[in-house]
Amino acid sequence: MTADAFLFWFLAIVTLVSGLSVILNSNPIYSALCLAMTMVGVSALFVTLNAYFIAGVQLIVYAGAVMVLFVMVIMLFDLKKDLQTFARGMFTGGVKLASVGLIAGLVVGAIKSAELFTEKVADNPVTTGNGMESTKALGQILFTKYIFGFEALGVLLLVIAVGAVALARSKGGTHEQ
Amino acid sequence: MGMGKDIFEITVNGLKLVVIFLMMVQAVPILVWLERRGSAFIQNRLGPNRVGPLGLMQLLADAVKFLTKENFVPDTAKPLLYYAAPVFALIPGAVAFSAIPMSTPIQIGVFEMFGQSWGPYTFLVQGYDIGVGIVFILGVSSLAAYTLLMAGWGSGNKYSLMGALRASAQTISYELALGLSIVGVIMMYGTFNLTDMTMMQQGPLNFSFMGYTVSSPYLPNWGIFFQPLAALLFFTTTFAESNRLPFDLAEGESELVAGFHTEYGGFKFNMFFIGEYGHMMIASGLMALFFFGGFGIPFVSVVELQEWAAGVTATATGASALVAGLHFLSFMVKFSFFLWVFIWVRWTLPRFRYDQLMDFGWKTLLPWALANTILTAFIIYAASL
Repeated sequence: MTADAFLFWFLAIVTLVSGLSVILNSNPIYSALCLAMTMVGVSALFVTLNAYFIAGVQLIVYAGAVMVLFVMVIMLFDLKKDLQTFARGMFTGGVKLASVGLIAGLVVGAIKSAELFTEKVADNPVTTGNGMESTKALGQILFTKYIFGFEALGVLLLVIAVGAVALARSKGGTHEQ
Repeated sequence: MGMGKDIFEITVNGLKLVVIFLMMVQAVPILVWLERRGSAFIQNRLGPNRVGPLGLMQLLADAVKFLTKENFVPDTAKPLLYYAAPVFALIPGAVAFSAIPMSTPIQIGVFEMFGQSWGPYTFLVQGYDIGVGIVFILGVSSLAAYTLLMAGWGSGNKYSLMGALRASAQTISYELALGLSIVGVIMMYGTFNLTDMTMMQQGPLNFSFMGYTVSSPYLPNWGIFFQPLAALLFFTTTFAESNRLPFDLAEGESELVAGFHTEYGGFKFNMFFIGEYGHMMIASGLMALFFFGGFGIPFVSVVELQEWAAGVTATATGASALVAGLHFLSFMVKFSFFLWVFIWVRWTLPRFRYDQLMDFGWKTLLPWALANTILTAFIIYAASL
């Protein structure tokens, strides 16, 4: 086994195990920490693929975002009743299962029909150079070829931000009395 | 980005990582001494002056005290997080510090050893060179806030938790301004690589704008003359990132006992301390690299120095080692100056109130950083016309 292969399998196992423990842990604090670990693992995998810029951005953006999640967990969850908070009756359980199934279906569908919507790119911008060249190529391709997807994601994030504010202002939240 | 092509190169590169880590850890006692004597000097006191000449042996006495203290875990603590936090506090600082270039590479020619011919080699005077140095350093050092949260939550103490929450809110708020403040620098130099950035700051001040070429023989070609606002914003936000006064609300003694490290004593506390000083060192190194010519010597370009060294020394290896040594000294002077500024500010300014901290971050630093970015973009566009 070469060093690259060893690194890949090691990082893949670390990432998958910490990703699994995010959902298998009943304590939301440890879940959030494991999520941060998953993000670091994914970032390290990007480094092994020579995508240094994306690895750095993965750390800055996602690790920072998980930090917000961590704080939210501490401030909003009643940790003494964390199990009840997560498993509250048959109906919510059913809704959760349905949404998980929906997301899984979306992911599988996207992977299966990937050839329909995307074409194989020979000059992948991420792997052309080491550092600035690949970043420049990435930026150009993002603002020209994939501008629609980029802007659509921006709108999606705006919707999420508005939704989060609306949810936070409504009564109840996780502290339903 | 491998470790090297034969056993000699791999060994040297491995040793280099250890040496840089030890350099970071060993600088901490010296800085603590400087901090205590410096604070005494600023406050018109004497400071520790009993143990050894100038009180220098105080550091050793402190180390012995730290190592021999009783190992204590509070009843309400979560042992895993409680023990993991100080260990993790060291990692981001050490990893990010290794990516800072401290001098020009040392080139070693072909030589004989153990009946075998080795070389030629090029050794960088830094732990490892990552193409996107800045993004990597910012990303890794942003992970440090997790250790504060782990410590705060794992201690099972309300003061610790309050300190950790403050620390995370502060880090998230100031990271935006920190990232934005250096976007202008990145746009101006057009690179993420810290060595390339240093190379562009050689020689006297020289730039061209809208067809005119401006040069001044009296000023070095440093980033601070192009991005003064960015320098100010960057240095301010790094104080917040390293949790130093005036931004050390995470450990505000007057209201939170000692904040996130209330329950830590002995060597566990010391590791948080080393982590904090590691952040100071990264900030000082980056400050020197972005705005003060990095390892470059003012008014002397790297090529000129190499030509001079080739005349003085016999071999090419010796010449490159001499050049690297002089650049390293130049870097260390700038680096030490900014470390001293960190200490100086700590003992000069009082702590912010929490609402002042948030207002300062979101309503002052962030808009100015954004304005700097937009202005730089316009000027770069105008200059390219």
